[in-house]
Amino acid sequence: MNEENVEKVNESELTIPIERSIRAELLLLLGQRPSHGYELIQRLNEADFKSGEADAATVYRNLRRMDKEGLIKSHWEVGESGPGRRLYKLTPQGEASLKVWAKYIAQQKAKIENFLQAYFQFEESLTEGEGGVNLT
Amino acid sequence: MIASQKTLRIIYAAVLQQVMEKCQERFLIQNSGLKFELIGVGSREGAKRLLSGEKYDIIALADQALFAELLAPDLVEHYFVFAADQIVIAYNHSSRGSKEITQENWVDTLLKPQVSFARSDHHLVPRGYRTLMVWQLAEIFYDRPGLYSTMEAACLPYSTYPKSLDLSRALFKGEVDYAFLYSSEAKQLGLPYIVLPAKINLSNPAYANYYDQAFVTVESKIPGKNVIIHGNPIEFAVGLAKDSQHSELAQSFVDLLTGPEGSLIIDQCGLIPC
Repeated sequence: MNEENVEKVNESELTIPIERSIRAELLLLLGQRPSHGYELIQRLNEADFKSGEADAATVYRNLRRMDKEGLIKSHWEVGESGPGRRLYKLTPQGEASLKVWAKYIAQQKAKIENFLQAYFQFEESLTEGEGGVNLT
Repeated sequence: MIASQKTLRIIYAAVLQQVMEKCQERFLIQNSGLKFELIGVGSREGAKRLLSGEKYDIIALADQALFAELLAPDLVEHYFVFAADQIVIAYNHSSRGSKEITQENWVDTLLKPQVSFARSDHHLVPRGYRTLMVWQLAEIFYDRPGLYSTMEAACLPYSTYPKSLDLSRALFKGEVDYAFLYSSEAKQLGLPYIVLPAKINLSNPAYANYYDQAFVTVESKIPGKNVIIHGNPIEFAVGLAKDSQHSELAQSFVDLLTGPEGSLIIDQCGLIPC
C-alpha cells in the first residue's frame, strides 16, 4: 500500500458518517424552533455541533425520511414576501427519539473520554524512557 | 373525478419536462378526460409570456426569484419552492480531455485550445446566468483574477445553443465537449459530469451570502432596460395564475407536485425535492 492509499484509509476511518448524526442534529434544531429546509441547512452549517458540511440533498433526504417516520411533521407555509416553503416541526415521537440520541451521544462521549485517558497514560509511559512500552 | 372538456395549461422551465410529464400521467389517473397543454420554455421567457398577456393555469420556473421579480403579486399570488439542484459540468465519452478532467483541473481542461464548451443564453434561462455566476465565483474561490473574462471569451457564443434543450442535445450528440447543465439534466441523459465545489455550484443555502457576490445583467421586463441578478442557491418554484379558469384543478395538480407523489417523481428525475 503506497503512502497515498494509507492516507485515504486513515481519513475514512476517522470520519464519522454525516448521515448517522445529521438526524440527531436536525431533530435538535427543530426542537429549538420549527424551520424550513433552507433555513435548517443554514442553521446546521452554523451550529457548533455540526459533524461536517451538510449539503442540501442530504438534509432534504433526511427530512423526508423523518417526516415519513413521524419524527417530524410538515406543512406548506405561504411566504409573506417571498416563496412558500415546507415548514418542519418536531413531533412527540421526534422528541423521544432526540432523548435517545442524547443518551447515546453521552455514552459515546464517556467512551471517548475513557479512551483518551487510557491513551494519555500510554503516551506518558512512552516518554518515561526505559520504562516505556517496546513498540517493536 | 371527471374533468372532461377542461384543459389545464401549464408553462414550465423546459428542464422540468420529465417531471411535468410524469405528474401529468399520475394526475390523469384521478382526472380522466382532462386535457393538458404542457409548454416547456426558458424560465425568463415563460414569465415574460405571462406578462405579455398569455393565459396559463400553472407556472413552474427554474428560479424562484423570477416570481418576485416578474410575476408576484399581480399575476401570481403565492408560489412554492419544490425542488433544488446544482450546476455541473457535463460531458460525453468522446469529449476531449474527459479521461483527465477532475473537480480540481476543470478550469485548465476547458481552457485548452482544442476543447469546446458551451452555456445557455442568460437572457432566456436561469441556467445561462447561473453559469456566468459559477465562473465569477470560481475566480474568487480559486483566486485566479481574470478567470471570468477568460471563460467568457473561450466559451462558444451563447447564441449557439440558447435554450436548455438545445445545449443538452448538442452535448449528447457530441457537437460540443462540455456544457454547464443542472445535475438533473445530466442524470436524465445518462451523461457523466463533474461536481463542482459547493462554494461555486450554487447548491447550498449555507453559502447564500457567498453566492450573492456574483451578479449578471439581463434584460428586464421593460423592453430596452436591464436588471441585475445576484447569485443565490438554485431553487425551482411553482405558482397558480391568479386568473386561472380552473383554479381547483390547478391547485390539485400543484398539491400532487408538492406532495409525496411529486417528491418521488422529482427525486426519480434527479432533482432534490424540497
